[in-house]
Amino acid sequence: MNAVVMNHLSKIYAGGKTAVADMDLSLEQGEVFGFLGPNGAGKTTTVKVLNGMLQPSTGECLVFGEDPSRNPEKVHALSGVMTEHAQMYNHLTGLQNLVFYGAMFGIGEEESRKRAGELLRQLFLADAAGQKLSAYSTGMRQRLSIARALMHRPKILFLDEPTSGLDPESAQNVNQMILTLAKEQGMTIFLCTHQLRYAQEICTRYGLIDEGRLLTVGTLEELRDGISSGMRVRIRADRLPDSLVDVLKKQEAGGRCGNRDKAAGKTAGMAAEDNKEKGIRDLTFEVKTEEEIPCIVGQIVENGGKVYHVSASRPSLEDIYFALTAERRVQ
Amino acid sequence: MKRNRAISAIVKKDMREVTVNRQLLLTIVVVPLVLTLVVPSVFLLSVHFAPQEMGELQELMGMLPEEMQRMGAEELMVNLLFDNILPLFFLIIPIMAASVMAASSFVGEKEQSTLETLLYCPLNVRQLFHAKVLASFLFSMLVSWSSFLVMMLVLGLESHVLTGRMIIPGISWILVLAFLSPAVSLIAIILIVRGSAKAQSVMEAQQKAAFLVLPVVFLIAGQFLGAVLINAWILAGLSMILGLLAWVLLKTSLGRVSGEMLLGNAL
Repeated sequence: MNAVVMNHLSKIYAGGKTAVADMDLSLEQGEVFGFLGPNGAGKTTTVKVLNGMLQPSTGECLVFGEDPSRNPEKVHALSGVMTEHAQMYNHLTGLQNLVFYGAMFGIGEEESRKRAGELLRQLFLADAAGQKLSAYSTGMRQRLSIARALMHRPKILFLDEPTSGLDPESAQNVNQMILTLAKEQGMTIFLCTHQLRYAQEICTRYGLIDEGRLLTVGTLEELRDGISSGMRVRIRADRLPDSLVDVLKKQEAGGRCGNRDKAAGKTAGMAAEDNKEKGIRDLTFEVKTEEEIPCIVGQIVENGGKVYHVSASRPSLEDIYFALTAERRVQ
Repeated sequence: MKRNRAISAIVKKDMREVTVNRQLLLTIVVVPLVLTLVVPSVFLLSVHFAPQEMGELQELMGMLPEEMQRMGAEELMVNLLFDNILPLFFLIIPIMAASVMAASSFVGEKEQSTLETLLYCPLNVRQLFHAKVLASFLFSMLVSWSSFLVMMLVLGLESHVLTGRMIIPGISWILVLAFLSPAVSLIAIILIVRGSAKAQSVMEAQQKAAFLVLPVVFLIAGQFLGAVLINAWILAGLSMILGLLAWVLLKTSLGRVSGEMLLGNAL
């Protein structure tokens, strides 16, 4: 059974604003799905519709076979939700908050205390268990919210910007925990964030959303292939053969590297930066395959140049996102 | 079982929340103290020590039921005070307690962004509404009945010392405690909840709730002006009407309660 299914799902608010538009998406169990987009893209609205907090305007959605608009309480029993607007009680301690939410999910007090203790340890909050929430920092609150969402061992975890406000070490711990939950317990993770670099570290599949529309869905490789099959190369060297620079700049064909059809500078991404005193230049350009790189380096060396740096990278999620949104705006 | 555990957790948590908030606790303690101890004691002492002009009293006695006309002047005044005037003052207590608790329970949750977290729990909105109304209702009854007990103890003692007689609550008090207080509490709670989607802060909700005591104030004024003399029949009639109103309000609210109604623009 799919963890989440959305069929032509739309949500239009009373004022006429379309927050989610005709969304089709399905998630397998155990996926760490990154739902990515800028603030106001419709991520939180989608989570609210998937949890029955908002009624869809058109279309339908299912979470583990349950329709949240009809049986929200059944979906809530299966899901843990952490959003910016779902806070806990300032007058209760961290432990009391977790025990209270345990009771809300029907867990007995003793079992709740045990489970809360485990989660507080895992999220490095054991020392603050007896402190009132009002004394917690933003990062501690954030981690306690994750613990709260996990109290009833949900099958799917909805996380809305889980690492905003966390220091790098805490963010890394949370990432590790999310990965462990997915790998060892088979928990499905629906991660909403606008921090694309963060998502790239932990997600197995991505959905990119802008202005309520799902731009694309797939694994990182699939998304990369969707926008470009090439890779970006950066070279820092002196005595760069002018012919090579010209080739790259003019996006001309060939050169001596026979199998480089249409040469290195296939996209508009090529840039050159000069350090005239030493004759060192930085070049950034795209190639189709890794095989082309030794050929280019070879040309520089043959020309008597020194190569200080060569690196190759494939488009990051950020590159993909900006490429897709730019394409959409042009359309 | 699971549902009852969740409802019980909400009731306990809500009660605790009010008792740890000094500002709310002060309101909840001071108003009943004034209405059940200060005001009755001042009345009682005035009746005992003030010179009684029989001419005016005679006129008043002529308007009263026969069994009351047979009483002595002081006994009559004490009875009038205890059975006809104080029950109306007392009604302010359940209205106040219910309003403070409901404002804290519903609008307070919204203000602290904790209502949404509750809505993600496996209780449906009706069950959540039910738990919250129950917490406010039980709290209001607890405050009202405790206030009554304290009032009986203190006034009984004062009356015994001053007149040598004990004060025994009449049927008016049974009607007030068993029917009228629960009815006005429920009405106050439901009206607060209905307004909670629009109210942005607990303070705002409480200020609006202050208007709920106005009908009681009019009744008290009517009593003092002689326009109406509250007796057991009137209280029984009021109990029936307000009980019915509370039931209708509860049913209609349960019928249309939704997350959006509770959270309003917060969603």
